[in-house]
Amino acid sequence: MTMTAVKKTLSTKDQGQEIISSVGMIVTLVSFAMLFATLMMGFAMYRLTAPVWPPAGMTKPSLVLPSLSTLCIFISSVCFMKFEKNIADKRGLMATIVLGFAFMLIQTLLWHSLKTQGIYVSSGIFPSIIYAFTWIHAAHIVAALAMLIWLYLSVRKEISPKTQLHTANTGKFWHFLGIVWFIMFVTIFVI
Amino acid sequence: MAFFEQHIHDEPKTFLSKYVFSFDHKVIGKQFLWYGIAFLGIGGMMALLIRWTLAFPGEPFPVIGQFLFPQTGGVVPPDTYAMLFTLHGTIMIFYAITPILIGAFGNFCIPLMIGARDMVFPTLNMLSFWLAFVSAILLLASLFTPLGGAAGGWVSYPTLSTLIGSPGVGQTLWCLALFVLGVSSTMGAVNYIATIITLRAPGMGYFDMPLTIWGLWLTAILNAIFLPVLGAGLLLLTFDRVFGTTFFLAGAAATSGSGDPVLFQHVFWIFGHPEVYILILPAWGIVSDLLSFFARKPAFGAKATALAMTMITILSTVVYGHHMYTTQMSPLLTQSFMMLTMTISIPSSVFFANWLGTIWKGSLRFQTPMLFALGVVFVFGLGGLTGLYLATVSTDLYLHDTYFVVGHFHYTMAASVLLGGFAATYFWFPKMFGRMMNETLGKIHFWISMLGLNGVFMGMMIVGYAGMHRRIYNPFVYDFLQKLIPINTFITISAITMGGAQIFFVINFIYSMYKGPKADQNPWGVGTLEWTIPSPAPHYNFAEIPVVKCGPHELGNPGLKNGRDFQYQTEELVECNS
Repeated sequence: MTMTAVKKTLSTKDQGQEIISSVGMIVTLVSFAMLFATLMMGFAMYRLTAPVWPPAGMTKPSLVLPSLSTLCIFISSVCFMKFEKNIADKRGLMATIVLGFAFMLIQTLLWHSLKTQGIYVSSGIFPSIIYAFTWIHAAHIVAALAMLIWLYLSVRKEISPKTQLHTANTGKFWHFLGIVWFIMFVTIFVI
Repeated sequence: MAFFEQHIHDEPKTFLSKYVFSFDHKVIGKQFLWYGIAFLGIGGMMALLIRWTLAFPGEPFPVIGQFLFPQTGGVVPPDTYAMLFTLHGTIMIFYAITPILIGAFGNFCIPLMIGARDMVFPTLNMLSFWLAFVSAILLLASLFTPLGGAAGGWVSYPTLSTLIGSPGVGQTLWCLALFVLGVSSTMGAVNYIATIITLRAPGMGYFDMPLTIWGLWLTAILNAIFLPVLGAGLLLLTFDRVFGTTFFLAGAAATSGSGDPVLFQHVFWIFGHPEVYILILPAWGIVSDLLSFFARKPAFGAKATALAMTMITILSTVVYGHHMYTTQMSPLLTQSFMMLTMTISIPSSVFFANWLGTIWKGSLRFQTPMLFALGVVFVFGLGGLTGLYLATVSTDLYLHDTYFVVGHFHYTMAASVLLGGFAATYFWFPKMFGRMMNETLGKIHFWISMLGLNGVFMGMMIVGYAGMHRRIYNPFVYDFLQKLIPINTFITISAITMGGAQIFFVINFIYSMYKGPKADQNPWGVGTLEWTIPSPAPHYNFAEIPVVKCGPHELGNPGLKNGRDFQYQTEELVECNS
């Protein structure tokens, strides 16, 4: 292979960046997925070895607030997909951010309502799971919201291949957190 | 194949951008090397304190004992002893070996050996080092808290590690330190994986990569997948300690639903077993390469070695249960785990046989890196074989938690990896600093280390087989162990010998860095890409991105005519019969 032939097989810088950042993002998401998978494995172990669930005479928390937050995060993901299709239209991104904050608000209300019902972090394994898992998920949501706001600011300035890439990566993370929340909602609150 | 060519960055000018917050993978590699060597010293000192206590219980530690433990007149107190073995394990595994093998040589070798100008994410790389630095501060700070550092063993099983077992803030800081270090290592892993996939020089297929890169790549994959598992466990443990959740509280079942201490063991070993391969895989890769380079022969079955390492990587994820045979696991499960564990010996034998095949009938050059590589072959053979007794359920039930286990994992994780790290240091030193290390001092370092190391770990296996348990402050309160005092004294003397040998290394390292003879571009006569550029490597690595035309182990080809017995990877493969 001559040097010029080789140079031709090298892609342009933007294409290269695209491949690199999507490889990087996928590996990162695998890492995050393993974190949540471990939590879910722990939950499965507690759940399957307990004679009755919820244990120790506890009742399940009401489904109203968790269903609302699930709805929020679902619609926000749909909005973001709309935005990904057409970056020039920033309303989708704005809606995603607003719904993301709404999600955090509802989670806070959920923690508050549990507390008023007398269910504290230290009240046993089931409240421990509800609180700890939602905390860990919320911490990721906060990070993702920061990414979304940063994206909003950079999209407002200019639309370039770089912001396109930025959008795709933020999107992957946001949809991932939505899926994680949906799994938590079904396993912890519904069944 | 490379997907695109990185452009050449401007050379950093200021002290801060050049040596402290550097984006250059070579500087970050060196930072990790200093970091690892510093912690190797701290962890080694802790080991000597532990050994002294076991050989001479109740006697003050010489010289520095008076300063460390003034309240007992220099004797290591029992609670400090528990802290010492906990932190010795933690520091050696996470703060010494991981930074040296993965942090330093991973960073230094990957871009150079695959023909790239830097990692794909230089900023992430820098963050990874400075997070590791924060983590080190957290861990060292725990030593100065009122009740001292963590003392629940490096595995930190609950309930020893919950508030019941360790009330102090030290254990919490330990959890946080490891969590931060986990984030740092995951960042590094993402970087390594992406770099190797996307930035290999044009023409370099996966099997044209040196085996060092294979080892580092597989390690990075395991890191990215399994460090978050430990992260989740540590988060829940931290919540238990700080916020009062009940994940790992034993006996909570009766009052408030069930917590489960054994769950932490599962989580820990799902991470922990891959972790031992995370540590050893880079060393295997380095040794596979060095044996070929110094035997002046192509690596025997290089492809099979790479595939065997891949196979082990996959198998390592499904064998973790062999650490937990004594946790009342069902016999069906223990036997399954035993079967799976035994299966690992098949790929291990494949690459071990390949190592022997590589040096068979080679024209061996016994320079220091080769001595260390051969040392790895020897100690890893011993460590691997003794693993079989621990994989077998019936023998493990007897040997569990004895010094036999300690001897076994030190042979595999400490001795092999440490010798591999030294081999790498002696080998790549010229490319890192542009000077050669002293051969005579290096050989003295090797032989004394080897003597001391085998005395320590062989002795540990013997006392373990005789029934001495690990983690006991004074084992000789038991009558049946009193006959083991002489052999424990022997182990301690060996340990001091091994520790003393490292003085030769430190002197050699520091002296050679400033005063060693200048190294030429290719002092070892090796054809991989890093030897095609000047020593020390310039900040942009390759002025022109190289094009790879043959494998990394093209040595001793009879068709070579230009007076060399090796060819560079950038040269067209010479016909053997021409």
